[in-house]
Amino acid sequence: MNYCKERTGARALVESLEKAGVDVLFGYPGGQALDIFNCITDAKFSFVLGRHEQGCVHMADGYARSTGKPGVCLVTSGPGATNTVTGLATANIDGIPLIVITGQVPMSLIGTDAFQEADTTGVTRAVSKHNFLVHSADEIPEIVAQAFYIATHGKPGPVVIDIPKNCQQALTKAQYPERVSLRAYHPESAATASQLTRLAKLINEAERPVIYAGGGVIASGAADDVAALAHKAGIPVATTLMGLGSFDEHDPLSLRMAGMHGTPAANWAMNEADLIIALGVRFSDRVTGKISKYAPKAKIVHVDCDPASIGKNVAATLGIVADVKDVLTTVGSRVKKASHPEWIEKIDGWKKSHPVSWKQMHPNVIMPQAVMEAVDKATKGHAVIVTDVGQHQMWAAQHFRYSIPRHFLTSGGMGTMGFGIPAAIGAAFARPDHTTVAICGDGGAQMTFEELVVAVEHKLPVTFVIINNGCLGMVRQWQELFYSKNYSGSILTVKGRPANEHLEQDLKYDYLPDFVKMAEAHGAEAYRVIDPAKLDSVIAKAIKSDKASLVEVIVEPRANVYPMIPAGKPVSEMVFQ
Amino acid sequence: MNEEIYRLNCYVENKPGVLARIVGLISGRGYNIQTLNVGPTEDGTVSRMKIDVLGTAKVVEQIILQLRNQVNVIEVTSRKKLEIRN
Repeated sequence: MNYCKERTGARALVESLEKAGVDVLFGYPGGQALDIFNCITDAKFSFVLGRHEQGCVHMADGYARSTGKPGVCLVTSGPGATNTVTGLATANIDGIPLIVITGQVPMSLIGTDAFQEADTTGVTRAVSKHNFLVHSADEIPEIVAQAFYIATHGKPGPVVIDIPKNCQQALTKAQYPERVSLRAYHPESAATASQLTRLAKLINEAERPVIYAGGGVIASGAADDVAALAHKAGIPVATTLMGLGSFDEHDPLSLRMAGMHGTPAANWAMNEADLIIALGVRFSDRVTGKISKYAPKAKIVHVDCDPASIGKNVAATLGIVADVKDVLTTVGSRVKKASHPEWIEKIDGWKKSHPVSWKQMHPNVIMPQAVMEAVDKATKGHAVIVTDVGQHQMWAAQHFRYSIPRHFLTSGGMGTMGFGIPAAIGAAFARPDHTTVAICGDGGAQMTFEELVVAVEHKLPVTFVIINNGCLGMVRQWQELFYSKNYSGSILTVKGRPANEHLEQDLKYDYLPDFVKMAEAHGAEAYRVIDPAKLDSVIAKAIKSDKASLVEVIVEPRANVYPMIPAGKPVSEMVFQ
Repeated sequence: MNEEIYRLNCYVENKPGVLARIVGLISGRGYNIQTLNVGPTEDGTVSRMKIDVLGTAKVVEQIILQLRNQVNVIEVTSRKKLEIRN
């Protein structure tokens, strides 16, 4: 049935999305988006109905992180648009390409405080890479093409297209352009010959080099080139959280993750290095700690596609604004084959003396780290792991061994709780050939739990693992270590809540909500594990299931994430226990 | 590092929302615009913005890089403003 008979702006939008190669659209309808919704039932792409606009954007984000293609999301005006803000900010800071289309009140009503009117371009300006307010139906195909170009060129990011209802309804003959030309935006930049010569010289002369790989390596598709450089020149590789999977963590040259909760070997190697080759990173404060004490002995080469990222936090000896893959493929032949036996021996000593490890705290209580190992075992290391934010996110970063790009999806820069469940669903739509496991805390899971329905409806065999410690673990950990154990606002069980919350200590209502009942009410298979002896078998059973499943694991609430370099402190103040 | 007044010369596409984007980028980072002057150039599709902002060299450099990253910004130049007329 052809519902969208005339070639309206809405129809032109749908055609443009088809031309841009969209295969799935995530969204949620409302009054000012109805003309577009009326046309998508005829579209070549499929539609996924989320249950909250934030969830829709995170789904599109999970899709984009999993494939590298822009995720696309459609919502209505006013509250629909404002609900996308957290999702946009999450994608913006991590450089994830998204197209978010918002309905808007008709042009004649803009500025009148009309029903469900919000200044969407005003609200989203600071959390998106770019945004457009459409003024006429004729602009729609060109703006869609520009939006896809902007989202995917330079440092990727989210682009918002706000379309007033009268522009959706007006007739237009405008066609999708063959090519995009933007007057002012030309992000492509390449390394100069002298920069490449200097880079090769620095690498060839280094005695204690470290490659420091970030999300930009994954975005640029340069993981193989990083491995080639590391192996040829004998350089150990540390990654950021966003860079996990850019270098095989089983490789003897892998230092694994650096930073606040990174491995001692990665942090000490950066501290002792004479050359840091930083590829597609932005030197987050979560990695550098105290900036003035960061990598004191090292020359720093910083390669990134974003000119504003170079020199922003750490001064670079050599800054190269270019695509990481382009730089590595051209510099590769000029780098001499080398090994650094003394340096590698020193690093191997650190790896042996301070491996990533954990201790059982109580014999009958599951340790959260054991859950990660159980998932790793059940998926043989091949799953796409999607996390929420908090302690479990760091344990997931530490206790899996990542070897492939786009197999660890996490909200790195923004640290958005509620990301895990919808992002895992988006990733499962993108890569149905992969096992997808979401690892969430009990706090973040409650923020976007409603999206579980989507996994059930679409029969996505995603396993949602809820690490339930009855508290907001990372907040609790900081309060334990830095706020005199004043657990203000961070305890989710009735037991142990501070007096200012005026709760009756009625343990009948401890551990609310009941995640198993919640999951079953949403139509998913659900299990609860309390006994350490049953952990492996239940996790394996849930992952094997061809339906959406949830495992609530009640874990040791006192477990903390170690090692830890307290915020703003140098590497020397790393805490191990 | 000392704070000084820098004069930024921005050539931008003359489109709705561009002024707000540029001003927001500066104010959102906590820096105060001392003077702002905007007008079309001979080419009516391009506007020139003269922005005086108080900051350290490092901060101003970062602002310029961020401005250049904007989709509608054609060119940005800057110089230290030694004399403040008013």
